[in-house]
Amino acid sequence: MQNNQASPKFKDMITGITKSKAVSTFTAALLAIALGLIFGFIVMIVAKPENSWYGFTTMLFGGLRRLGDVFYYATPILMTGLSVGFAFKMGLFNIGASGQYTMGMFFALYVGFMWKLPPGIHWIACVLAGMVGGMIWGFIPGICKALANVNEVITSIMFNYIGMYLVDMWIQGNAVIYDSGKTRTSYLPVSAQIPSLGVTGSNVNVAIIIAIALAVILYIVLNKTTFGYELRATGYNRYASKYAGMNDKRNTMLTMLIAGGFSGLGGAFAILAPSTIIGSSMTYEPINVIAANGFNGIAVALLGSSNPIGIIFSALFISHIQRGGTVVSSLYGYKPEIIDVVIAIIIYFSAFAMLMNSNVARMIKKRRLAKEASGNPGNDGQQDRKEA
Amino acid sequence: MNKILNRAAALAAASFNGQGQKAPIESPSGQEAYSINYEDYSEVNMENYIIEMLHITKEFPGIIANDDITLQLKKGEIHALLGENGAGKSTLMSVLFGLHQAEKGEIKKNGEVVRVSNPKDANNLGIGMVHQHFKLVEIFTVLENIILGVEPNKAGFLQKKEAREKVMELSKQYGLHVDPDAIVEKISVGMQQRVEILKMLYRENDILIFDEPTAVLTPQEIDELMDIMRNFAKEGKSILFITHKLNEIMSVADRCTVLRKGKCIGTVEIKNTTKEELSRMMVGRDVNFVVEKQEEKLGEVVLQVSNVTVPSKISKKDAVKDISFEVRAGEIVCLAGIEGNGQSELISAITGLEKMSRGKVTLCGKNITKAPIRQRTKSGMSHIPEDRHKHGLVLDYSLEDNLVLQRYHQPEFQRGGFIKRPAVRSYAERLIKEYDIRSSQGAITIARGMSGGNQQKAIIAREIDKEHKLLIAVQPTRGLDVGAIEFIHKQLVATRDAGKAVLLMSLELDEIMEVSDRILVMYEGEIVGELNPKEITVQELGLYMSGAKRNMEKENSYAE
Amino acid sequence: MKKIIALVLTVALACMMLTGCGTKNTSFQIALITDKGNIDDKSFNQGSWEGVEAFCKANKIKDYQYIKPEDTSDTGYLAAIDNAVTAGAKVIVTPGYLFEVPVYTAQTKYPEVKFILLDGAPHTADYVYETKSNVASIMYAEEQSGYLAGYAAVKDGYTKLGFMGGMAVPAVQAFGYGYLQGVEAAATELGLADGAITVTYHYTGDFAETDTNKAMAKTMYQEGTQVIFACGGSVGKSVMSAANEADAKVIGVDVDQRYDSTTVITSATKGLGASVQAVLESIYNTNSWDTYAGKTTYFDASNNGVGLPTVVIGDEKANAFDRFNSFDKAAYDEVYATLASGSIDLKRTLEVADPNGIATAEELTTGLNLKKVAVTVR
Repeated sequence: MQNNQASPKFKDMITGITKSKAVSTFTAALLAIALGLIFGFIVMIVAKPENSWYGFTTMLFGGLRRLGDVFYYATPILMTGLSVGFAFKMGLFNIGASGQYTMGMFFALYVGFMWKLPPGIHWIACVLAGMVGGMIWGFIPGICKALANVNEVITSIMFNYIGMYLVDMWIQGNAVIYDSGKTRTSYLPVSAQIPSLGVTGSNVNVAIIIAIALAVILYIVLNKTTFGYELRATGYNRYASKYAGMNDKRNTMLTMLIAGGFSGLGGAFAILAPSTIIGSSMTYEPINVIAANGFNGIAVALLGSSNPIGIIFSALFISHIQRGGTVVSSLYGYKPEIIDVVIAIIIYFSAFAMLMNSNVARMIKKRRLAKEASGNPGNDGQQDRKEA
Repeated sequence: MNKILNRAAALAAASFNGQGQKAPIESPSGQEAYSINYEDYSEVNMENYIIEMLHITKEFPGIIANDDITLQLKKGEIHALLGENGAGKSTLMSVLFGLHQAEKGEIKKNGEVVRVSNPKDANNLGIGMVHQHFKLVEIFTVLENIILGVEPNKAGFLQKKEAREKVMELSKQYGLHVDPDAIVEKISVGMQQRVEILKMLYRENDILIFDEPTAVLTPQEIDELMDIMRNFAKEGKSILFITHKLNEIMSVADRCTVLRKGKCIGTVEIKNTTKEELSRMMVGRDVNFVVEKQEEKLGEVVLQVSNVTVPSKISKKDAVKDISFEVRAGEIVCLAGIEGNGQSELISAITGLEKMSRGKVTLCGKNITKAPIRQRTKSGMSHIPEDRHKHGLVLDYSLEDNLVLQRYHQPEFQRGGFIKRPAVRSYAERLIKEYDIRSSQGAITIARGMSGGNQQKAIIAREIDKEHKLLIAVQPTRGLDVGAIEFIHKQLVATRDAGKAVLLMSLELDEIMEVSDRILVMYEGEIVGELNPKEITVQELGLYMSGAKRNMEKENSYAE
Repeated sequence: MKKIIALVLTVALACMMLTGCGTKNTSFQIALITDKGNIDDKSFNQGSWEGVEAFCKANKIKDYQYIKPEDTSDTGYLAAIDNAVTAGAKVIVTPGYLFEVPVYTAQTKYPEVKFILLDGAPHTADYVYETKSNVASIMYAEEQSGYLAGYAAVKDGYTKLGFMGGMAVPAVQAFGYGYLQGVEAAATELGLADGAITVTYHYTGDFAETDTNKAMAKTMYQEGTQVIFACGGSVGKSVMSAANEADAKVIGVDVDQRYDSTTVITSATKGLGASVQAVLESIYNTNSWDTYAGKTTYFDASNNGVGLPTVVIGDEKANAFDRFNSFDKAAYDEVYATLASGSIDLKRTLEVADPNGIATAEELTTGLNLKKVAVTVR
C-alpha cells in the first residue's frame, strides 16, 4: 500500500494476490508449522540439550536422505487425508477414516489371499476391493446422515470400532489369512503386491503415483464440475444449497461413499505395498488397535486446508518429519518417545493451521492494516472487516 | 415471536456491517454544499450542552468509521442522528456509551472532559441506551429485568418491594405501561421496548440514546413512542435518536446531525429544513421517494395458494392457518404484517424450503405442493430470499459462482458435468453490467467481501434474469440504503410491467404502500385483510397489522 | 507480522546459540529393536532391554539405545535395523520370532554387525533356515521352565491342574511336556498315590484372546481345576479373565506376568535378560563370540536361561513367591540346583501321530512316563 501512485488496477491485482484466500491459508499453515517447530525444538532442548540442534536439523532435513520412504509412508495418509478433506469440503467431518481404512485393508487382504488371479491383474483387483470396502464403510454413516440426520461424527466414530473389531475377528477366523503362530497375517502372494518403484531399500511403489493422480482428479472434480460446485456450495452454506435446489441427501451419501473409498484405498495401498525382503510382504496384526493412519489423515487434511493439492504436500510433509524423526532417534540418542512427542507437537500445531488462518493470521493482518489504514483506507481493509 | 425479532435484529446488524465496509471507498460527493460549520455552535452558550462529542475519530482496521465528528446535545432536546446504514451512527453511539474508545477527540459533559471507557462509566454519567437489539433476560419478569445489575438489597437480600414502587412510579409518570410481573418473553415487542426505557429511567439516566427504536414497532406503537420521547424532553431529559427514517425525524426531533460515510455532513434545525434536504444530506444526491408505476395489466393466475397450513417451528401452534390467495401476472401482491405473523413460514412453504402440513400450491396450473425446490425453479419460480446471507448466497463463492447458483446445471453452463467457465464468466459479466453490481474484483470477487447492497443486487440480478413467471421477493430492501432501495423497487416494478407475477413480502410500511398493487395483511397466521394501497392510509394498514381490524372472514373467498 | 517473524527468528537464534556448540553425532554400539510392543511391555521387549541395560551399566558402556520401528512389518523391522547400523550400532538385539525374517536378510546385508536374535532362528519367508556367523540365535529350554512351574504348583498343594497351550508348536509343546514332568516329579517326591493329580491338557489352536478360550478355561475351572498353566500369548488373557471370575489361579508364561493379574501365582519364564547379558559378555569381555555365533543356543537352568521369577520387577525387596501357599525360595533353589546340574533328563519332544502335533492322553502318559498324574486331553 505504500505505492499510492500505482495504477488502481495494478494495486487491485497485487492486493488480490496477497490477500487472496490461498495465500493467507498458506502463510497460516507455514506459521503454524513454524510455531510447532519451535515448541518441538524446545522439547528437544529439554530432553537432551547437547544434541538438540543437530537432532532438530536432522529432523527437518533427515527425511531427504530417505526420500523413497517419505513417499512410501506418505501414501496411506495422503489417501486418508483426501478422504477427510473431501468430506470436509461438503461440511461433513469424516472422523471414520480409520474404520474405512481398516475395512479397505481387509477387503484387499481377502482378495489377495482368497482369489487366484494372474499377476498384473491380481493387485489391481485387490486395490479395487479395498476401495469397495472403504466405500461400504463410508456409505453407511452417509446414509444415516442423509436419511435420518444422524450426526456423521458419531456414526463414523462407532464405525471405527465396529470395523476394527470385525476385521480382527474375520482375520483371526480365516486360517489362510491369519498366521496364528506369528499372531499376524500371513505373507501375501507376490501377485497381490503393488509393483515397486525400485528404489533401493524402500517399499515405495506405484500407489504413491496413483494417490497423487487421485488427488489431482479430486481437485478437478471439486473445482471444475457441477458435482464439485454443489458439494462445495453445500459445505459452505447448507441453506443456500437447499435454496438453490441441490440434492443435499444424495450429495451427502455420495460424498461419504467417495470419502470412504479414498480411505479404503489408503488401507489397500498400505497392506499391498511390496516388501524389500523377497517372499515377505506387509502384515497386519489383529490386536484391537484403531488404525492411526485414519487419524493422521485428519491432521493431513487440516494442514492441507482440505485442498487436494495442499493435502499432497501436507502428507509428504508429515511423512517427511516422521522419517526425519526416526533418523534422529537412532542417530542422536533421543528416546523414540521424545521424538514421538516432538512429531506430535509439530503435527498438532500444523493441524491448528485452520484455526490460525481464521484468528492469528487475521489478527496480524489487521494490526498491520490498521497501521497502514491511516494513510489510505483502501479496499483491502474491507475484506478484513468482513471476516470479522 | 421474540426469537424472530432477535434474528431480524442480528440480520440487520449483519447487513449493516456489509454497508460499513463499502462506505469509505468513494469519497462523499457534494459534501461542501451541506457542510454546515458546526464551529459556530461550539462557542455559543456552553452550559446549554449537556453532552458534547468533539472531533471524534474512530478507526477500524482499514476503515475510518467516524472521521472528526462533532455532536453536541442540548439539555432537553431531541437530537436525531441521521445516516444510511454504515454511515457511522452506531459506532459514534458506541463511543459515547463506552463500548469503543475513540482514537481522537474528546467527550464533555456539562463542559467538563470525561472519560467513558465502559458502559458502566456511561451509566455513571447518566447515559442510557435502548439498543436496537433488546438486551433483556427473556425468562425473567419485567421487574427483574429493570432492576438487573442495580438490585436494591439489604445484606444481600433483594428488596423487590422498594424496587416495584419506584418502577410503578416511573411507569405512571411517563405513561410507560408495563406489567412488572409478566415474563419478558411473553410480552409484546412494544412492551419490551418500554421495559428497556424503564431500565434507563430506573438508573436515573438523563441522557437517553434510542438506537433505531421504531424498526420493530407498528405505526400505532411508533406514535406512542414519539409521545413518550416528547414527554422526556419536556421533563428535561436529553434524547439522542438514531434513525434513517425521515418522517420520524421531521415529526419529533428538534435538531438533526447527519452522517455520511463516516463524516459529519452537518447539524440542522428541523424547523428550518425539509425531508428532501435531509435525504440529500444523507445520500449525497436527490432521491426519488415516489415509485413510478403504470396502471397494472392483469393477466392470468400464476400462483394459486389454497388452504395452506404450516406448522410452527417454535410452538405447537400452526404458524400459517389455512391461507388461500392468488397472484396474477402483471401485479405486485404484498404480504404485509408485523414480523412473526406467519409470513416467513408461508413463503417458505410456497418456495419449498419448509413443508406445509395441509393445502395446495399451484404455479401456472401445475401442482407444486410437494415438488422439490429444483422443480419449482424450473417451473418458473424465482425467489429473492429473506435472508441473503443464509439462503441467498454462498458467501465464500465468487460473485460469478453465485450468479449461476440457480442455473449452473443448465446446458448453457455445463457439459458432461464440467462447468463451462467461459460461459459462466461472460454471463456474470453481463449481469454485473446490466444490474450495476459493484465489487472490488469483478466476477471473481468473493461474495463475502461485497457490500450488502451489491450482494442483494446480485441476488436480484440472478433471480430476475432467470426465466421465470413468478418472482417472490422477501424483504428485498432490508438493511439497504436509500439508493439501493430505489433501484430494487424499480426492478420489481419492471418485472411486473413485463407481465410477471410478483409476490412481495415486506415489513416496511412505505414500501408496502408504494410498490404493491394489492396488500394482503397477515396477523397471527391468517390473512385479515385484502387492501388496495390507493384506498387506505398507513394508519389503517397499521390497525390491520396489529390485529385490531379485519375485513376478511376466516374462510377465504379463494378456498376451494 | 514482522514483529512475530522477528520474534521467531530471535528465539530460534537464541536456541541455536545455546545448543549449537554441543557434541555432534553420538553413534552407539548396542541397539535393541522393539517389536510390535513398547519397551515397557512387561514381555519380550522389556525383558531383553533390562538385560541390555544391566550389562551396559555393569560394563560402563554408555552408548546403547532402543529403536522403535516405523511399522511392524518385516520391512519395517529391517528399516529399523538399517537405521541402527547407520547410527553405528555394532551389536543389535532383536527380541522375538517376529525378527526371524528381517534378521535373515540383515545378516547378509551387514556381515560386520552382530545380531542377537532371541527366541528365534533366522529364516527366509519360505522357512529356509540359515544362521550366519554374525548371528547368535538364542532359544530357551522351555521344558525346564515348564517343569519348574508344574513342580512348584504340586509342591504348593494343588492337585487339579490344567494346561492351555496355544498351537502345538515346538515351544508350546516343550512347555507342556516339561510341565507334566514337573508335576509328576513333585507328586513322586510327595509320595502321592497314582493318579492323585489330574491334569487337563488342551491346545487352543490359536494365540488369541477369544471368548472360546475364555469359555474353555471357565469350564475347566468349573470342573474343579485349581490352576491353569496358560501357555500361548494372548490365550493368557482369556485364562486370567476366567480365573478372575472363578476365583482360581493361573501360571503365566515367557515373562513374569504377576502384574497382568493377581490370579497369577508364578510364571514359567525365559531368562531373556540373562541370555542377552551372557551373549554380550561373550562379545565384550570374554571374547568368546564363537560360542554363540552361527548357531542356535538353548539357554537352560545351567546358565540362568529359564526359571520362575525370583525377584519382583520394580521392587527388589518384595517376595516373588508371595502368591504361593507354602512353596518358597528355598524349595525353588533346591529344585533349580538339581535342574541346573543336569541330573534331570527332561523330554522336550514326543512322537505324536497327529499331524498338528496334538498328543493324545495316552501318548503323553507313556511318552512322559506319567504315573501319579492322570491326563485328560481336550
